[in-house]
Amino acid sequence: MSQADPKPPAALAASDLSTGYPGALIIDGLDLEIPRATFTALVGPNGCGKSTLLRAVARLQPLHRGTVLLDGRAIAQQSTKEIARQVGILPQAPEAPEGLSVADLVRQGRYPHRALFGRWAEADARACADALDVTGLTSLQDRPLDSLSGGQKQRAWIAMTLAQQTAMLLLDEPTTYLDLAHQLEVLDLLRALVKEQGATVVAVLHDLNQAARYADHIVMMKDGAILAEGAPDATVTQARIEAVFDIKAMVMPNPVDGTPLMIAVTRR
Amino acid sequence: MSRALILMVAATVLLFAVALGQGDQALTPGEIAGALLGDPTTSPVASMIVMEVRLPRALLALLVGVALGVAGAIAQTVMRNPLAEPGLLGINGGAAFAAIILIVGFGLRAPTLLPWCAFAGAFAMALAIYLLSWRNGASSIRIILIGIGLSSLAGAAISFVSAFGDVAAVQRAQVWLAGSVYDARWEKVTILAAWLVIPLGATFVISRELDLIGFGESSARGLGQRVHVVGALAVLMCTILSAAAVAAAGLIGFVGLIAPHIARRLVGHRHLRLLPAAGLVGAALVLAADLIGRTVIAPAQLPAGLVTTLIGAPFFGFLLWRRRHVAG
Repeated sequence: MSQADPKPPAALAASDLSTGYPGALIIDGLDLEIPRATFTALVGPNGCGKSTLLRAVARLQPLHRGTVLLDGRAIAQQSTKEIARQVGILPQAPEAPEGLSVADLVRQGRYPHRALFGRWAEADARACADALDVTGLTSLQDRPLDSLSGGQKQRAWIAMTLAQQTAMLLLDEPTTYLDLAHQLEVLDLLRALVKEQGATVVAVLHDLNQAARYADHIVMMKDGAILAEGAPDATVTQARIEAVFDIKAMVMPNPVDGTPLMIAVTRR
Repeated sequence: MSRALILMVAATVLLFAVALGQGDQALTPGEIAGALLGDPTTSPVASMIVMEVRLPRALLALLVGVALGVAGAIAQTVMRNPLAEPGLLGINGGAAFAAIILIVGFGLRAPTLLPWCAFAGAFAMALAIYLLSWRNGASSIRIILIGIGLSSLAGAAISFVSAFGDVAAVQRAQVWLAGSVYDARWEKVTILAAWLVIPLGATFVISRELDLIGFGESSARGLGQRVHVVGALAVLMCTILSAAAVAAAGLIGFVGLIAPHIARRLVGHRHLRLLPAAGLVGAALVLAADLIGRTVIAPAQLPAGLVTTLIGAPFFGFLLWRRRHVAG
């Protein structure tokens, strides 16, 4: 662990980040800081660049310009395996080979921790067992992935990312295609990781009300730029929603816990 | 070792033994053992049949099967498509085209030169498929469609060269092209074995990388894999294996497609087990195909490639039919 620093670096920071296709940048000169041990939600309309941003900071997308710092260290100067020991990423709609079992999927999460000839160690087995336990999949671990429901499948992928045992998780639309109960299940799981294990979670979410309820920090994007960021109270406001999503909206305190609740009224 | 693996080894050994015993002149197990162990009381005829004819032929079938099975397993994993196979993709066709130019065009029969030439053809074909299907990344379906197209083109080119070549050379080439271990000699066996050592060893070493690359680029890179390096290495190994098999025995179709499927059923997806299993199943398939081909209408012989195609084409149809509901 590092020595006592007056101001520790952000868990993840990007400066002057530009990415996209040559001549058609999706993101141009964006700065971002993700606070440590929080649940950050990336929200914005379709095509606003939120997935691209997530992929870019996770080095899945080449940068045209700019730097990404992980715990204050540039990712460009680290090996891809080294990064994988610090950040887990769950891409949108990931694909596994046909017929693969849940346990075999979760095992892959240990890849960055093993050397080329490294044996399957006790720590690897424990990490997998823990990941299956946290996601409630222990009893399903021998089932083929194809035979699971959408919610179970998504949990299995999250379990793989958890087996990676990283302090930071990046998830691209982890709740899309899930029914409401399974959406809440995934969000509860992510929040528990932040609260109980001090993980830093960044997720692209579509439902603004879920983001407001579950996230500590919201980043609102439009046209490849960040329009607002901060606590849900400060970001999920009528004016911001109208600017970001081009809709007329009403915002009121959520009767459940007082977080902002948005009702879309009409298109503008 | 799992039960499935023991079963496969037993099946392969049994087929191998039958291959040594069956033929125009049936031999008893005692005679085979005597010949193999160099027992001086064995009749010289039996000894000659085993050591000079059937043993090299069975070994060649075995090695070709191993190469085709493992190459198929690699291709299906890297392309992330259970229908991808060096034969369907035209890699074998490229190898055959290059070899046919050597045989018919230059009238060469040197077995040491053939694998190099086949490798050059296979490599050029793999490269062409990759370059032609590249558009912001090479999608698996585009690779397969372009591969099938180029495969037909290679077939047409082979026919073209055959039509204008020297008749005797063309005839020789046709026998070889049909996919046969008929012309097995010790020299061929040792050359093939030498060509297989490195790619088989390397593939086995990176078996865990192959487990991961099957998850697609985003997931694999997210987990810290250097996807392009692993992919290129795997395709190179697959190309060497395919080319070596084609150089030794011509076009033996569908083994690379079927063997990995059967192997996956038996031992699951982990490549540490899948690769040896695919090799064993491939070996058993080619041994069986050759055995059927030379006994079923004896004394005439069907090339093993014809037998595997007769079995393999319906299997391919079955795979397509079973996957009819799978999107994309």
